[in-house]
Amino acid sequence: MEKKNLSQKLKEGKFVITSEIGPPKGTNIEPHLKEAEHIKDEVDAFNVTDLQSSVMRLGSLATCRLLVERELEPVFQITCRDRNRLALQSDLLSAYVLGVKNVLCLTGDHTTLGDHPDAKPVFDLDSVSLLKVATELMNGKDMKGNELDGKPEFFLGAVVSPGYEPLELQIIKMEKKIEAGARFFQTQAVYDLLSFEKFMKAVEKYNVPILGGIVLLKSAGMAKYMNEKVAGVTVPEKYIKMMAAAKKEERAKVSVQIAAELIKGMKGLCQGIHIMPLGWEKYVPDVLEASRI
Amino acid sequence: MIDYTKYQIKAEEELRQLLDSVSDILVLWCKKCYKTFEKEEESECEKILKILDVSDKLKGCEAIDFLCNRYLTEKKISSLFGSGYGIGVISCGLGIQTVSKIAESKGVKVFALADTKPQSGNATSIRGYHGITLGTEKCAGCGQCYLGITGGFCPVVDCAKSLINGPCGGAKDGKCEVNSEKACVWVEIFKRMQKQERNLDVISQIRDNNVFTFEENRKISTFSLSRRTENFYGGLHPYENKHITENLAIEKFPASKYLYIFLLQHTGSPASLCVKEGEIVKLGQKIGESSGLISIPVHSPVSGKVVTIEEKFHPALLINCPAVVIQNDFQEEKDSSIKGYPEWELMQSDDLTEIIREKGIAGLGGAMFPTHVKLRKPKNPVDTLIINGCECEPYLNADNRLMIERAEQIFEGIKIARKILSVDNVIIGIEDNKSQAIEQMKKLTERESWIELKELKTKYPQGAEKMLIKTTTGRQVPEGGLPLDVGVVVLNVGTVFAIYQAIVNGMPLIKRVITISGLFEKPGNFEISIGTPLKDILDYCGGGKINDKESYCLRMGGPMMGIIQTEFDTAVIKGTTGYTLININPIDVSEENICIKCGRCVDVCPMELYPLYYAYYGKNQLWDKCAEYKVKNCIECGCCEYVCSSKISIVSLIKKAKKNAYNKT
Amino acid sequence: MLITKLKSSNELDEFFSKKLFVFKCFGCSEVYFPEEEINNFASGKQEKISGIAQIDYLCNEDFAKRYIEKNVDRIHNCEGIIVFSCGVGVQVVARLLENKAVYPGCNTFYLNGFQGLTVLECDCGQCGQCYLNHTGGICPITSCAKGLLNGPCGGAKNKKCEVHPEVDCGWISIYERLKKINEGSTLKKKGVLIRNFEKIIKGI
Repeated sequence: MEKKNLSQKLKEGKFVITSEIGPPKGTNIEPHLKEAEHIKDEVDAFNVTDLQSSVMRLGSLATCRLLVERELEPVFQITCRDRNRLALQSDLLSAYVLGVKNVLCLTGDHTTLGDHPDAKPVFDLDSVSLLKVATELMNGKDMKGNELDGKPEFFLGAVVSPGYEPLELQIIKMEKKIEAGARFFQTQAVYDLLSFEKFMKAVEKYNVPILGGIVLLKSAGMAKYMNEKVAGVTVPEKYIKMMAAAKKEERAKVSVQIAAELIKGMKGLCQGIHIMPLGWEKYVPDVLEASRI
Repeated sequence: MIDYTKYQIKAEEELRQLLDSVSDILVLWCKKCYKTFEKEEESECEKILKILDVSDKLKGCEAIDFLCNRYLTEKKISSLFGSGYGIGVISCGLGIQTVSKIAESKGVKVFALADTKPQSGNATSIRGYHGITLGTEKCAGCGQCYLGITGGFCPVVDCAKSLINGPCGGAKDGKCEVNSEKACVWVEIFKRMQKQERNLDVISQIRDNNVFTFEENRKISTFSLSRRTENFYGGLHPYENKHITENLAIEKFPASKYLYIFLLQHTGSPASLCVKEGEIVKLGQKIGESSGLISIPVHSPVSGKVVTIEEKFHPALLINCPAVVIQNDFQEEKDSSIKGYPEWELMQSDDLTEIIREKGIAGLGGAMFPTHVKLRKPKNPVDTLIINGCECEPYLNADNRLMIERAEQIFEGIKIARKILSVDNVIIGIEDNKSQAIEQMKKLTERESWIELKELKTKYPQGAEKMLIKTTTGRQVPEGGLPLDVGVVVLNVGTVFAIYQAIVNGMPLIKRVITISGLFEKPGNFEISIGTPLKDILDYCGGGKINDKESYCLRMGGPMMGIIQTEFDTAVIKGTTGYTLININPIDVSEENICIKCGRCVDVCPMELYPLYYAYYGKNQLWDKCAEYKVKNCIECGCCEYVCSSKISIVSLIKKAKKNAYNKT
Repeated sequence: MLITKLKSSNELDEFFSKKLFVFKCFGCSEVYFPEEEINNFASGKQEKISGIAQIDYLCNEDFAKRYIEKNVDRIHNCEGIIVFSCGVGVQVVARLLENKAVYPGCNTFYLNGFQGLTVLECDCGQCGQCYLNHTGGICPITSCAKGLLNGPCGGAKNKKCEVHPEVDCGWISIYERLKKINEGSTLKKKGVLIRNFEKIIKGI
C-alpha cells in the first residue's frame, strides 16, 4: 500500500504532525537529515524554512529534495523576499519536478532583520499573490496567461497568526489566501488555548485544515523576549513561571511538558500541529511521546 | 522645459468602475506643480466629464493649489465635508493621502481619481526625483553617489537594471535593450570618460540598500517638519551673520557737518516745515510740525544753521522728497523745550501720549508708524502689551545691543507704555539667538509678575507683528486686521527706549542705534543722529565697495526686508535700522523669469498666501487678480523671493500689485 | 524629496588628490543641507581648492550655465570639479562641463514627498497605479515596509511594524481608517492586487 501524503491525511481527518528543518549556514546538512529520519515515524511532514529570519543559509528547495530522496515528506517554504515573480514561478516549477508538492507560501521577513541588512528587498509579489500565481501554474498557465508545457500539482499552504491584533485583519487576509488557493494553514506559536479556541471558531466556516503552531520554550527569558518582540505571540505568565522555576538541566523537561499540554489541548480544536523546535529537534520525540493521549 | 505634473487621470475603465459605486461626489483637483506657469490650469473636472458623463453625480468642483500642503489644504476644505458627498481627488498620491487624512475624522470616503506618474522610468530603481527645476537629470537618492566614477551620468536611474559595475550585454547600437530610443547610459559613461582621458576603472561596487537608516531619515524629517510650523506657519532660517557685529558695543557716530532731515520720516502725512532758510536752530528744536492726525514733528539733531530746504533722495520711498539741510556748529546747544519728567508716574496717560507725539516718536523697527496713535485710547480694549525684541532680520544687532547695554532704560520705557495703555500683562519676546540680551532683560523682568520674557525659537520673520502675536499669545490677528483687534499693542525695543528718552529726559527722537554690517571694512553698532548723510557712513565705515555695482549691493536695513539703495545722496531716517553691504547674487533676479510652480513660496509665506500668483499675474499686469489672491495681506517679508527657484523678484511685483490694485482713481 | 549628506572623508580625500574647483548649492538648505560640515571640510582643504562658487538651485541648468559663462577662466584652469549638492546638481554641472572630471561631494537620500520645501508625513511610491481607493487613502507601498498590497504580513507587534518598531503598521492603519469611514468591507473585496512595474518604464 502506498504511503499517504499530507494532503490525503488531512482530507481523511488524521490529526497530523509536522516539524521543521532549518537548513544550516553552510553545507553540513547531514545532521539535520538524520534528526528528521530519527522521528520520521511520528511526523507526517517536514517544513524546510527559506532563509529563516532573513539569514543567508543553504536553500530550502535543495533540502526538500534531499528529504524526498530519503522518503520523507517535505513542505517547501517559499518567501517573496528574495525572488521576483519570474524566480518564484520558476522555483515552483522546479519544486514540482523535484517531487516537492507541499508548498507553504510566505511573504518573508524583511531583509533588514537578518544578517545581510544591506540587501535589496524584493517583495515583487506577496504571500497572497504568490498563492494565486501557484494556483494558476496548477491550471497550466503562468501569471501572464501563457500556456505551460506540462503543469505542476501542489498542495498549497499558508500561515496565519491567531494572536495577531487586530485579529479581524488577519482573518481577512486568511480569507484572501484561501481564495488565492491556500488549502492548509500553519499558525504562529500558540500558548493560550482559550484564545486559540476562539480563533478556531472564527475560522471554522472556511473549512480548511489548520495546524496549530508549537514552539518549544527554552527559558523564561526566551518567553519574555517573544512577548516583547515577536508578533502575535503571548506566552502566559504561568508558563514563564514554570520555566523560571526549573533548574537549568530540567528546563527541557518542563518545556516538553508545556508543549505536550498545549498539543493535548489542541487535539480537539484543530486538524494538526506544526512543531517549530528552533534547534531543539532532539526533544521532538519526547514532546510527541508526552502528548500521546 | 519638461512638464513634471505629478498625476494623470485614471483610465476610463477604472474611472467608470469607481464612479459607478458613488451617488454624489465633490471633486477636488490639484492645480499642479512643476510645470511652467504660462497659463491658468484647465479644469481637470472638465476632463473627467469629457471621459465619462457623470454630470448628474458631480455636485461640485474645487481647484486647490498644492493639495499636499496639509496645513493650508485643511483650512480650505474642511467646510466641504458637511454635505455628506463623497470626495473625489485628482492629484498625485500625496494630495490624495492628505485629503484622506483630513476626511478621516469626518468619516468621509475619498476616491482617488488619478494615478501618480512614475518619475524614474526605471523599474529597478523606482524612485526618481528631478531637481527644483524642469531639467532632464534625475536622482534616485540611492545614498551612495557613484557620479564621481561614472563621468557624472547616473547609472542607478539611467541604467534600466541600475547596474553599477559596467554595462550588461544587451545594448544594441548604443541603445538600451529595454528602450531602443534611449541611449545605454554605460555607453554614454564610457564616451565621456574617454573625452576626459580618464579610465573607466570600474571597481566592483555593491549597493548597500540600507545605507540611510530609517531612524536617520525620521530624525531629519521631524527636524524639518517641526521647523516649518514652529511658532507660526512658514518662514525661513536664512544665514544670520549676527556674529559680525553682535559683540561690538554701541559707539557714538562722529557728528556730521551737514545733516539732511526729511520732513516725511513716518507713515502718514509729512511734517510741515516750521523753520526758514538761514534760521539758527538748536539741538532738539522742532523744525517740522505734525500736519494731521497721523503725523509727527521732526526735530533738529544738532545746533547750527538751516542752510537750505531741498529735495533729497528718500531712502525708503526712493523718490526725491523735501529735506531740511542743517549745517552743524558742533556746539550741541540744547533747545529749551528739552525738559524731562522723571516723575512721570504721577502724570495722566493722555499727557504722556501727547509728549510722545510732540517728541516725534515713530516705530523704530522700520515701519515708522507714529507711536502716539498706537497708544491713544483705543476703541478695542487692550489687555496685552508686547515688546518686540526679536530682531529677526539677519545681520542687524541694533536692538540686540540696545537690550544688552540699556536694559534699564528700556525697562522704564516699558513701564511708561504700560501705564499709558493701563494693561496688566506685558510680554517681551526675544529670539533665542540673543543670549546676552535675554540675560540682561531677565535680570529686570524676573522680579516682576506683570512682565514675562519669552525666549522664541529663531525663525524669520518672527519679528513681524502678526507672527510675534501668534507665537507669544496664540492669538491670530484677523485677515486685514490690526493687533488691536485681538487686544494687543506691539512696540519695538528701540521705540520703548525712545519713549524713555522723550519722557524721562525730554529728548525728541533725533538719534537712534543702527547696525552697519556685511562687507563694510569697519562694521559696528552706532548711535547716530537722524539726518546723518549716508556718504559719511560709507566714509567712516569703509563702504567703498558699493562703487562696484556689479558685485555689491547696499540695503538700508537687513538683507531680507532692507531697501536696496542705488542713490547715495541720502541720509539716516527714523526708520533706518542699519545698512548692510552684501555680494550680489551670482544669478540675476528678475520680474521676467518664468515660475515653475515649485511651490516653495507657498511653503514659506508666513501670511499663508500664494505668492506664485503675484509672480504670474504681476508679470501679466492682471492687478485685480492679485487682489483676489489677497496681495494686500502681504507683509513684504521677502521669504518668497528668498526661496524662489526661478529667481523672480516677487516683492517688487507685489509692491506694484498693491499700488495698482487698490490705488485706482 | 532629495536631501544630502557629506561623503566620508576618505572618499573626499581621494577626490582632492588634485586641485578642485568647488560648487556649492544653496537651494534646499531650508529643508536640510550639511552646510556646516561642508564649510568645515573646505576650510581644511584650502590649498587644494582653486575657487568656490555658491549657487542657489545648482540643479537649474540656466543658473549653473550663467555662472560658468561669467567665470570661464576661474573654472577652466582647475584640474577637476567637486559639487556639493544632490545628484541632480552634480549631473547638471557634469553635463555643462563635460571635459572636466566632476566629483560628487555628497551622497543623496530621499525623504517623504516630492521635491519641495516641506517634508510630508505621507509619501508616494511613484508606482503609477494608485492603490489608495483600496486602502482608505493610506499608501500601502510607502506605509508598509514591504510594500504589501493584499493585507499585512504577520509581523506587526502591538500594531507596530516589525522592521521599524516605533512606526505604526501601515496595514493596521489602513484597517482602522477604513473602519472610521465605514468602508471596512473594502478589505474583504475579492481579487488579488499585483503591481505592474512596466507602468514605471512606460509612464502609466
